[in-house]
Amino acid sequence: MRLIFVGGAIAYRALFNWTTPSMFIGTLLVGPVFQLLFFAYLGRQLGVANDGFYIVGNAVLAASALCLFGGTMAVSNERRYSTLSNVLLSPRSRTLIFLGRALPYAGNGLLVATFTLVVGKFLLNMSVPGTAWFGLILTLAAASLSAAFFGLVLGSIGLRFRDVWLISNSMVAVMILLSGTTVPRENLPAALRAIGDFLPLTHAAAAARELAGGETLANVLPGLGLEVAIGAGYAIIAAVLLKIFEYESRRTASLDTL
Amino acid sequence: MRVLRLIGIGTLMHFKTMSRGLFEIATGLIVPIIQATMAVYLLRAGDEPQNMVKAAVGAGLMGIWSSVIFGSGGAIQRQRWQGTLEMMVIAPRPLALSVLPVTIATGLQGLYTMAATLGWGWLLFGIVPDFSHPLLFLVAVPACVIGLGMFGLLLASTFVLMRNANAVCNTLEYPIWLLSGMLVPLTVLPDWTNPFAAILPTTWGARAVHEAASGGAVWPSVAACLAISAACFAAGALMMSYVERRARASATLALS
Amino acid sequence: MTDYAIEAAGLRRTYRSRTGWLRPKVKEVEAVKGVSFTVAKGELFGLLGPNGAGKTTTIKMLNTLLIPTGGHARIFGKDVVAETREVRQRIGYVFGGDRGLYDRLSGLDNLRYFAELYGIPPREQKQRIGELLELVNLTGRERERVEGYSRGMRQRLHIARGLLHRPSVLFLDEPSIGVDPVAARDLRRTVADLAATGTTVLLTTHYMAEADELCDRIAVIAQGELKALGTPEELKHHADGRTVLEVEAYGLEDETFKDIKNLHGVREATLETQGAVQLLTVQSVSDVDVQPSVLARLGGIRLGRVAARQPTLEDAYVAIVAGDRS
Repeated sequence: MRLIFVGGAIAYRALFNWTTPSMFIGTLLVGPVFQLLFFAYLGRQLGVANDGFYIVGNAVLAASALCLFGGTMAVSNERRYSTLSNVLLSPRSRTLIFLGRALPYAGNGLLVATFTLVVGKFLLNMSVPGTAWFGLILTLAAASLSAAFFGLVLGSIGLRFRDVWLISNSMVAVMILLSGTTVPRENLPAALRAIGDFLPLTHAAAAARELAGGETLANVLPGLGLEVAIGAGYAIIAAVLLKIFEYESRRTASLDTL
Repeated sequence: MRVLRLIGIGTLMHFKTMSRGLFEIATGLIVPIIQATMAVYLLRAGDEPQNMVKAAVGAGLMGIWSSVIFGSGGAIQRQRWQGTLEMMVIAPRPLALSVLPVTIATGLQGLYTMAATLGWGWLLFGIVPDFSHPLLFLVAVPACVIGLGMFGLLLASTFVLMRNANAVCNTLEYPIWLLSGMLVPLTVLPDWTNPFAAILPTTWGARAVHEAASGGAVWPSVAACLAISAACFAAGALMMSYVERRARASATLALS
Repeated sequence: MTDYAIEAAGLRRTYRSRTGWLRPKVKEVEAVKGVSFTVAKGELFGLLGPNGAGKTTTIKMLNTLLIPTGGHARIFGKDVVAETREVRQRIGYVFGGDRGLYDRLSGLDNLRYFAELYGIPPREQKQRIGELLELVNLTGRERERVEGYSRGMRQRLHIARGLLHRPSVLFLDEPSIGVDPVAARDLRRTVADLAATGTTVLLTTHYMAEADELCDRIAVIAQGELKALGTPEELKHHADGRTVLEVEAYGLEDETFKDIKNLHGVREATLETQGAVQLLTVQSVSDVDVQPSVLARLGGIRLGRVAARQPTLEDAYVAIVAGDRS
């Protein structure tokens, strides 16, 4: 267990060392707030949904991009800096090492998502019941975690295919479209809605809206459970993919070159 | 004349480099198409389901801006990596003239995006691009591209100085989409944002393109876009020479 | 008008780097600590030194990419800080390695692009590019993308690029790095030809043979300071009064090597590993024959060839660079 946390924290610091505090605020905190405003105003203009829908939805969404990129980075940057072979040569459990890498990004995502929610609430004057906050943060945590594991899946795919950032970029856009954070899901065709059911964030976004609307935590637990289950599913997929690609790249010696 | 030739050939060369990367092309196509889809569903969900052309054009405009902002940042970063940034600096031309072709080329790349979103809307959602002024549309879009390219130059000056330029891009995507009325009309924004919107060349470029598509006087907007862009270019050129000096003093031109 | 192509006077450069996230600490490294020299017009001048000695920093201060933190420099009498544009019109810059070209463009497109950046009139461009392709032996390959070029071809394209605007001074920063021996020989011939036609060349390298063969004068730079300056012949005098002993050994321990360094009469000793063989080079004062005592230390170690010889430029270089360190 210690391996997961300590290893993850060190790797996170190492991979994020290019940023300075002002860059952190500028890019990670301010960006999602503008995204929230964009969709909130778009929603107002079109009369699609109220501000609350967008504030909560975009707070959940704020976690996604960050965690998704983080998960991708956790694997692909190791290769870019040629540290991947060192990691794979390490005698400790590789699966745990990589799952651990995703955790700090999830934590970061939770932080940003909470910040976005609070700022959104004050900027657009939304009322959130005081009792809802605990549940909301729990929901944002679940969303961050499942998004980070999803990112890890993408990162693992990146071991095999070169332009992994293309996939990650597209996935972020897909999540905006399908997870119900910005486009009300009842307006999507059934096929797209079905895909959304299996993406991270979807169930968390629904649960968060209910909480903000005054629902009790107990009543949204099933939705929250679904989100966690989806996250766990992606963690397993990521672990399996890593194993497969690791085996394959050792066989074909394509680890650092491909 | 020589300056125009430099800009022309430079733009062509940078456009060639960018068009030969699968990553850049695919990013320029896939993400905007998803965004266009989103815009269509949002518009259908809303009270105003008739104006679908606006959704496709708006998504295309957003794509051009994304291309400029990510493209310029990425291109400067890539030039730093491949050592050509130093080569641009060491040439006897003002740095602004060497970098402007980069940002214009990214705008040109955004044309893929516009074409893709319009085509996608037509094929999948049956949105026929029956523009009010089809010919003026062909004027407004290039004007918008040049405008955004010159605005990009102003931003690019910061990229030369900062090593992690791309990170800054993430923050600038949504604000400009929002403030320039690319998809959301400016009328829904709070009044205090209006002056900001009015000085952004992106606002006028987007307006010109929307007017050409859905009706309105296109030329005044085109003129305003180009005038503000020229001012941006002048400011960008000044910034660029200042930044070049700073970069030479702080040694951020090369990676090593 | 001055007689010098390059004048450097007391050039200094410090780098500041920030470490730490929340409480940044600024660390200063002095890369070049006051370097002065002059290069005459048409001279082929070598800047020789180990990696990290400050060669590239010096060259970048001279070619306007870095502003010196102290001192000043002139190219053909034009100040590198105050008259940047004038300087840039007169200089070409070529560096070693893979970088500095647009990989996704063809060699020809690269040259066309840089011809525009240097404002070469359209009428002259075609002819000039043709000439240069001929000069660097790339004719026929110019329409291929650079990403498919070999190291040597890239390096030659780089040189063609640097010569487009007929610079009066050419800065060559480690041009032969990673280039195979045949290509390196061609490269040296090209450089020699250039110098013969009156172009002033400032070459940095850490290959002794290259400097010895090409340069009219050499400056040896180490730890950011100028250690010696002169013609290759003059520099060789730094090893005067010395004899060099070369021993091929297999499995020489660090401890033994240290012992040898401390032997009476030994001035410098270097140990180079070439595959399985270690090449031990011992410089000693001529009037002490160190061979018996060195061989005594090497007892029990399998040895190959053992030979004593007269010092070369390389030995002089080792003496200059290492001599100061002890």
